[in-house]
Amino acid sequence: MAFRLPGAALLAALLLAGTARAAAVPGVTDTEVTIGITGPLSGPAAAWGSIALASEAYAKYVNEQGGVHGRKLKIVLKDDGYNPGRAVANFNEMKDSAFAVVGTVGTAVLNANKDLVAESGLPLVYPLGDVQVFAREPKAKTRTVFQAYPDYTDEGEFLVQEAVKLAGTKKIGFFGQNDDYGKEAIEGVKKGAAKAGAKVVGEVYYEVTDRELGTQALKMKESGAEAVLLYSTPVHAAGLLKEMAKIGYRPKVFASFTLYDRDTMFRLAGDLWEGAYFDAALGLRGEPAADKLIAIVTRIDPKLKGREGFCVQGAVDILITVEGLKRAGRNLTREGFVKAMEGIRGWTADGVSAPVNFSPEHHHGYNAVRLMQAGKATDATAKQITPYVHFPPHF
Amino acid sequence: MDLVESYREELRFARKPLGRALLVLGLLALAALPWWGHRSWLAWGSMVWLYAIGVIGQNLLIGYAGQVSFGQAGFLAIGAYTFGHLRIAGAPFPLALLVAGIAAGAAGWLVGFPSLRLKGPYLAIATLGFGTAVYQVFANVEALSGGRAGLPIAQLRPPGGMDRDVYVYLLYFALFLLFTAVAYNLVSSWVGRTFVALRDSDIAAEAMGVNLTRAKLLAFAISSFYTGVHGALMAQYLGHLEPQAFNVQESLNFFVAVIVGGVASVEGSVFGAAFAILVPALFGDFRWAVPVLFGAAILVVMIFEPLGLAGAWLKTRLYFRMWPFR
Repeated sequence: MAFRLPGAALLAALLLAGTARAAAVPGVTDTEVTIGITGPLSGPAAAWGSIALASEAYAKYVNEQGGVHGRKLKIVLKDDGYNPGRAVANFNEMKDSAFAVVGTVGTAVLNANKDLVAESGLPLVYPLGDVQVFAREPKAKTRTVFQAYPDYTDEGEFLVQEAVKLAGTKKIGFFGQNDDYGKEAIEGVKKGAAKAGAKVVGEVYYEVTDRELGTQALKMKESGAEAVLLYSTPVHAAGLLKEMAKIGYRPKVFASFTLYDRDTMFRLAGDLWEGAYFDAALGLRGEPAADKLIAIVTRIDPKLKGREGFCVQGAVDILITVEGLKRAGRNLTREGFVKAMEGIRGWTADGVSAPVNFSPEHHHGYNAVRLMQAGKATDATAKQITPYVHFPPHF
Repeated sequence: MDLVESYREELRFARKPLGRALLVLGLLALAALPWWGHRSWLAWGSMVWLYAIGVIGQNLLIGYAGQVSFGQAGFLAIGAYTFGHLRIAGAPFPLALLVAGIAAGAAGWLVGFPSLRLKGPYLAIATLGFGTAVYQVFANVEALSGGRAGLPIAQLRPPGGMDRDVYVYLLYFALFLLFTAVAYNLVSSWVGRTFVALRDSDIAAEAMGVNLTRAKLLAFAISSFYTGVHGALMAQYLGHLEPQAFNVQESLNFFVAVIVGGVASVEGSVFGAAFAILVPALFGDFRWAVPVLFGAAILVVMIFEPLGLAGAWLKTRLYFRMWPFR
């Protein structure tokens, strides 16, 4: 043999000698509490990285105000490039050095890390991704997870019923991403359509890597749909609208809450976004409560101007964490923090969202959207069509 | 330079006592990483080891046999999903790993058939088509990919209350050593010489008595076996599978790792894997600049060291061997 395995016996000895270590309270000192964030700062979903940057900026604001119980927030921000493998490495790094992880983005990232979170008892606050990731887990494994994110199926069911009502049509078209996001939404959309006596005549999917959506636009036109529901990224939604306009097809547009940032949508789709209906789960630019947060975040990190929607999300992620830390008291432990979070009821981040309700039974504290309508492209306004509609929590 | 007196001696991995001692020390240091490194290094380390297995496989095909393939993500997916379904059905880890490798290897053997007629860019396009097709099948056939929930894979249970991260790291390291040793032996046996002959001139190789059909299919099968094992180890590591992880980008990453590491070099493959995994990790604090730095690093390596990191390593070794003479 040209190459031998050296020290196999020693390796076996090392295998047997593995030990576990435990720190007192990870990430907590007398003067600091370390909050970990892993997000897509680069890669295909880098636009969502702004949420992490906004969280970092808002944490600086909290520190300017004196921190929480005499401790400053120390943000450790890691890039995972939207790649589950890299996120696992980041979580491994943070599980013993950070007190909690806040605001992770991506269903695949959550799936790859859910066991690690359960086993290390690491609090995971406001992860952004499919609610079903944790809903499918046994209760004991989601004890440290606190999520406030609408369920795609519930939202789809609601949106299609509103579409039937507002567009006055029974012919619905569905444009979705070819993964769990699109698939869960279509389930709800079909359920809602049946309730409203309508029919999903066109079901068109795209791949995240697709850049040319002419075929999808043509398929949608041929289906004869009079209202189109969008469950896609902003780029793909705008791409579809442009291609549909090219072939002279202008159905009424209804968009999922992931497209709630109308500034981004107007920038990408121009006046094609005028009059579009969209769901929103949080406060928007132009509403006093949201404007207050946006002003704080963009003062600290001016780069975030023009991404106001993400600013609100990032700030709210920190706000709820601070609320939990405040309630947990000066004598901070992860267990105490979890108990404190479970006690949060009717919390609205000073009016930015509908009430958030956690309890020992329910860690999916927020499953609500409201319907909005975009105004003119020239002033990028939006008005509210329905108040917040609450769906039951999933875990 | 030292004197090599026989082919047998030429093949020895580390010829001098000092080199052998350093190699053993280095490997021991890596095996002992859980006791001296930061915990997060275990995660990065495990990823490097499993990635290295795949890159070695890819290098056997591209570097040694000269068959350019852009369909590696397809074999990766086949290995990962075979492994996932077997584990869910209750198969033990080693069996599932082996079958995953064999399944991917069989797929590689089949995909190898076009390589009998196609060369260079044409083969690259054919294999690219294969990779895309596999991805689409997994993305759209829910019975295979586990549907919306994806495919959850139970974590490994470490023996005797051992810390799981440590166990996984050491297990992956041991597997990496095994597959590296096999690869070294392969390339220095008649198989490797057949591959090289095939790469340099297939007509000459055939005239020398090399069975081209067999050699090309074997190259695809072995390479895919390695890639399938990589897929299985990744599936076990992530504990969850979804088709998105196996898109075309993944095949390109492999290619980058092979080229940057050094074509036709087993240790180069390891360097390439380390580069592909660790550079984004080390540059993590530069945020948006990570892809730029990654791209720039590739450019620099290609311009100044066309043989890749393996070439740089060889030159460093030669320098110290001759030192203080030049």
